[in-house]
Amino acid sequence: MTAVSGTPGKANPWLLPAAAALVLLSLVAAIFLGVVDIPAADVVSVLTGGGSPEAHSIIVEIRLPRIATGMLAGIQLAVAGLILQTITRNPLADPSLIGVSQGATLTVTIFLLFTVYIFDPGSNTVAELPIAWLPVAGMVGGLAAGGIIYLLAFRFELSPLRITLCGIAIGAVLHAVAIGLIAGWGSARVEIILEWISGSLYARTWDHALFLLPFTIAGLAVLPLIYRPLVLLQFDAPVARSFGLAYRRQFSILLLVSCALAASAVGVVGPIVFVGLVVPHLARFLAGRHFPLVLPMTVTSGAIVVTLADLVGRLAGGTEEVPIGVITALLGVPVLLALLRKAP
Amino acid sequence: MPLTCSQLSVRYGQHLALNGFELSLQKGEIRALIGPNGSGKSTALQALAGLITPAGGHAAIEGTPVASMSRRTIARKLAFLPQQPAAPDEMTIAQLVRQGRFPHVGLFRSYTRRDEEAIEWALESTGLTSLADRTLQELSGGERQRAWISAALAQEAGILLLDEPTSFLDIGYQVEVLDLVHRLSREKGVTVVMAIHDINQAIAVSDRISLLEKGKMRFDGKPRALADSGLIEKTFRVKGRFVEVAPDKPPHFDVELARIIRDA
Repeated sequence: MTAVSGTPGKANPWLLPAAAALVLLSLVAAIFLGVVDIPAADVVSVLTGGGSPEAHSIIVEIRLPRIATGMLAGIQLAVAGLILQTITRNPLADPSLIGVSQGATLTVTIFLLFTVYIFDPGSNTVAELPIAWLPVAGMVGGLAAGGIIYLLAFRFELSPLRITLCGIAIGAVLHAVAIGLIAGWGSARVEIILEWISGSLYARTWDHALFLLPFTIAGLAVLPLIYRPLVLLQFDAPVARSFGLAYRRQFSILLLVSCALAASAVGVVGPIVFVGLVVPHLARFLAGRHFPLVLPMTVTSGAIVVTLADLVGRLAGGTEEVPIGVITALLGVPVLLALLRKAP
Repeated sequence: MPLTCSQLSVRYGQHLALNGFELSLQKGEIRALIGPNGSGKSTALQALAGLITPAGGHAAIEGTPVASMSRRTIARKLAFLPQQPAAPDEMTIAQLVRQGRFPHVGLFRSYTRRDEEAIEWALESTGLTSLADRTLQELSGGERQRAWISAALAQEAGILLLDEPTSFLDIGYQVEVLDLVHRLSREKGVTVVMAIHDINQAIAVSDRISLLEKGKMRFDGKPRALADSGLIEKTFRVKGRFVEVAPDKPPHFDVELARIIRDA
């Protein structure tokens, strides 16, 4: 991925440093700002190991794990969206296109439904439910849905159109079943599901961040290896194969990578809409014709967008915070429309 | 022999698109595939490139069956340019041509001086050096076609399969492409198979011509023999005659603007 002569022009050398600086800036803002007003001096003393117990618990046990979870999930959703948009050659692709979000929604619903009956908690004792397992349930469902759609599309030579059609059909069925279950169920547990479905970073702990970390690290580590196949998969299959690409194998590997990144992220934070869709467009817009920049810009923009959107959600609602999924949806639409207007 | 195929047949559902196609090429030979629309020219090229699984027979590069080779190994020996390939609009010519080096660099190896030289040569041969940083959407149809030819050249393969490389080009660039093909064959020993619609260009540039009709080969031989066979008028259902233009050159087909109604 190094710039070699023959690479077109010179990319703006400040683009990546600026993006990295913005990641840090949004991180700092998200740590210092919040519903509970903590004086900046207290925040600094907490970060340097001191501070009052209250400030310490808010910063270290609430804000930091939440920010970390959000950044990791943002990176994963954005990279998954970029891969999907590229290999399906569909600019509107995102993790819901391959059924990952819907599969995760269904398994999370089923999981909560069963645990309610098995554990039989009191009317409001959410804490007694094993919700620590919720991310795992969501991830398994997302991967399973992605797997089913892959197998269906495999029979059609993995044509991008087929995988899109299979994804929409299977996704719709899974979503309908999940909504049916929720509607017919009507228990107090619905609240947990609704919060999860809208995409939320509320009450995310270090456990959530640690659950995501291996996926994020593995995903970022394979990026240099999938870069060249990613470029070639922008072409039709005969062209990519003529250039020497093992189309079917590389398509499958990239689909698996995006499924794993999306499913683990959706399991933890719910299907935060528009991050997987809008961030890759934003990154492509910023990178312009410098394709090697698109991946790093997607990674940094994913972290920034989720961190800032969550901060807005935390501050906007006061004590009743607005879920991040609502913010990304509200902000995502105009951003997407503006970016698509620029497209030819 | 660089490229051969025997009894190559391709079936699309019930339709036999290619029926027992035979080909054997000498190194550096230019072979034109001609025939009416739907006669199987593109199918033959794709089967030779190993992009379609044949219903029967097989193609072989230097004696090795194409079906047993990896895509990368094939791409180092054979470059194939399909008809009107699609590419993302924001991709630049230089980026497109770089993809031609993929069979050499693979997934991991970085681009060496050797790869950069091949890219520069490919751009230069197609007259695109000064346009290298343009995106494909900024190009005219002819420039885009040359960019794709350039990407195929960057593969530095010994065999070049071109599917109608001169379509959408004005007469100047048509001649330029044919001249480039001729130079590659004579100076670098590149073996070329190209599907082409212009019969006179086929006759002028190729060493041998294969004539296809409804998936079957009707003729395989030198241009002059094709002129003598009377098959052109029959296969394309046109009236015309071959005119001698120079004593040492194959004749020129002069077509009348009237169609022969054969099965009426």
